[in-house]
Amino acid sequence: MEYKVEAHRIMSISLGKIYNSRVQRGGIKLHKNLLVSLVLRSARQVYLSDYYSGACLNAAQSEREANEWDITDSEREKFPSSTTECDRVESPEEPQQTERPEKEHEHRENDDDLKSDQVDCTSTLQQEQNQNSLDSVANVSSETPPETIKEPKESPSESAVAERDSTPEANGESHQPPKTHVCSNRKRSAEETESGDSPQKRIKVASSDAEGDEEAEEMDTSNVSNLITIFGSSFSGLLSKDGAKPESETEDSGQICCDQMLKNLNPWSTAIVAF
Amino acid sequence: CNRPNALLCSVAADIISTVEFNSTGELLATGDKGGRVVVFQREQESKNQPHRRGEYNVYSTFQSHEPEFDYLKSLEIEEKINKIRWLPQQNAAYFLLSTNDKTVKLWKISERDKRPEGYNLKDEDGRIRDPATITTLRVPVVRPMDLMVEATPRRVFSNAHTYHINSISVNSDYETFMSTDDLRINLWNLEITNRSFNIVDIKPANMEELTEVITAAEFHPHQCNTFVYSSSKGSIRLCDMRASALCDNHSKFFEEPEDPSNRSFFSEIISSISDVKFSHSGRYLMTRDYLTVKVWDLNMESQPLETYQVHDYLRSKLCSLYENDCIFDKFECVWNGSDSVIMTGSYNNFFRMFDRNTKRDVTLEASRENSKPRAILKPRKVCVGGKRRKDEISVDSLDFSKKILHTAWHPYENIIAVAATNNLYIFQDKVN
Repeated sequence: MEYKVEAHRIMSISLGKIYNSRVQRGGIKLHKNLLVSLVLRSARQVYLSDYYSGACLNAAQSEREANEWDITDSEREKFPSSTTECDRVESPEEPQQTERPEKEHEHRENDDDLKSDQVDCTSTLQQEQNQNSLDSVANVSSETPPETIKEPKESPSESAVAERDSTPEANGESHQPPKTHVCSNRKRSAEETESGDSPQKRIKVASSDAEGDEEAEEMDTSNVSNLITIFGSSFSGLLSKDGAKPESETEDSGQICCDQMLKNLNPWSTAIVAF
Repeated sequence: CNRPNALLCSVAADIISTVEFNSTGELLATGDKGGRVVVFQREQESKNQPHRRGEYNVYSTFQSHEPEFDYLKSLEIEEKINKIRWLPQQNAAYFLLSTNDKTVKLWKISERDKRPEGYNLKDEDGRIRDPATITTLRVPVVRPMDLMVEATPRRVFSNAHTYHINSISVNSDYETFMSTDDLRINLWNLEITNRSFNIVDIKPANMEELTEVITAAEFHPHQCNTFVYSSSKGSIRLCDMRASALCDNHSKFFEEPEDPSNRSFFSEIISSISDVKFSHSGRYLMTRDYLTVKVWDLNMESQPLETYQVHDYLRSKLCSLYENDCIFDKFECVWNGSDSVIMTGSYNNFFRMFDRNTKRDVTLEASRENSKPRAILKPRKVCVGGKRRKDEISVDSLDFSKKILHTAWHPYENIIAVAATNNLYIFQDKVN
């Protein structure tokens, strides 16, 4: 767990550096920001993989997600499709919200994929750890179905949902797809399982906010994760394709992301508010 | 083992950002963060004052670059001098190239110790004389004057770099030079400022795919068609300009596989090469990354010939060094004249020398307290754990704000110049 804390801290520091680099004299230093983005990506991978191997959510969370998903459905269009790296990684907080927009689109009938992944939790983790972002980013961004994300692909079939009992690991995947009906099934099975993992508690806390806040937070953390995705997977967040004018584009997206970061009240904010 | 002693210590107005001896060692140039260049000249030997032999005194000071504002991008362009490189001397004047992030300038430094006097049409102050008062004709005479050293910009090579220039290197043909930024290397003719040729371009078509940048580049000391450039991924590419106009395909690729046991969040940062230097012989390459200096044989691409640990005790402190930005410090490295000793800087105003033949190394400190003129430098030692001996300094007591990034070694003699923030130290072997 301390790895998770450390990774989280490094991510916050890295984001702060990227944010500060925009106001530094002499313009953005490409080399330094590239290195920072690499650190950010490494930290993020550790952060997420560590969680994943630890414990997954129980379905009680997915129940809350179900509620949120209805709200966020409309939000989906607001997010750029470039938030791709998150999609392939299963994790509790921010990715769940980032992935929701994409996943909704892709996985509407695919809840069974998640179930199938219960078994494949560990192997998927390894796969993720082995892959590095760029290729998978490219794959996912092309909106191909889950094949690119998870290993064995089974065609979605809702019938299987009720059959497969949720193991603790399964829950890590289970919250992903925004299916109300699926969730109700899981909720039933999840309620039967007990899990005292702190990640779950964390999600519960985050989800227990008022309805109105959920929407705002959701958007905030999505932008945070967008920012992280952008920086983590590549360098696109800092530079436009026309290298001649990197700063103007950066500032727009960076400004929005950072502003919303600062408004955020979830665990991310403690480190970032200082900036 | 020689113990350098301090000869001279001078204070610059601003943080020194580059130090370079000229090809004879007679001149030493420093550039600073304020865009100024200060050139020191070595005193000639004099029978009257033999003990003053070899001291460097200020020869010329000039403002090379000014801060600029790029209105198109709303960006300020720093005036900090990133690199100075001397041209070989061809006449009485001295020439050097100095560069900031965007513009390279060729400066001519020349002496004037005579001036013509007795003009017909103007008086001694330069005022035009009333022609009606001129009744005689005379020939102006050249008379001695107090020595004046002038620096004049002779060429300005600008508008060729989108990204920040990190290196310049003069070719052994003495006609061309190259300037290097994060993604591109441009070749210039010293005489032509309105045209440069792009010889390396690693900018990806899609900037989202950017994974590495160029960190330094240098021409081979003898082969005018050969140059190397280092990357942020820890690799070095050797290119031959005869192969094609655009040298995107390297002739040789030097990289050492990463040690998986040392993997951390910061592995990529510490493997980024901050400096690359050919040996004087042209047979070897030296690279500096955050924790080590490596010597490569040009004929062996798979791994370095020698690896020297500069300050391996920092390996466990990488996270703190990341937080305070020290991990991004770009240390340079230099060869001595005979390529037998290499030198590089560290923190706490320490600098390290490694003897390649005896495999011995020494840590020295550049500080006012420890280096009164003609005092002999005492070797320092960092205590890495356990009981600290009396003269040792513990890792936690190191001052990370005192870093030695820039050093230079005289081309023939054992004279070194060490820049410690805004102090310049010159050390010389003790003369018995």
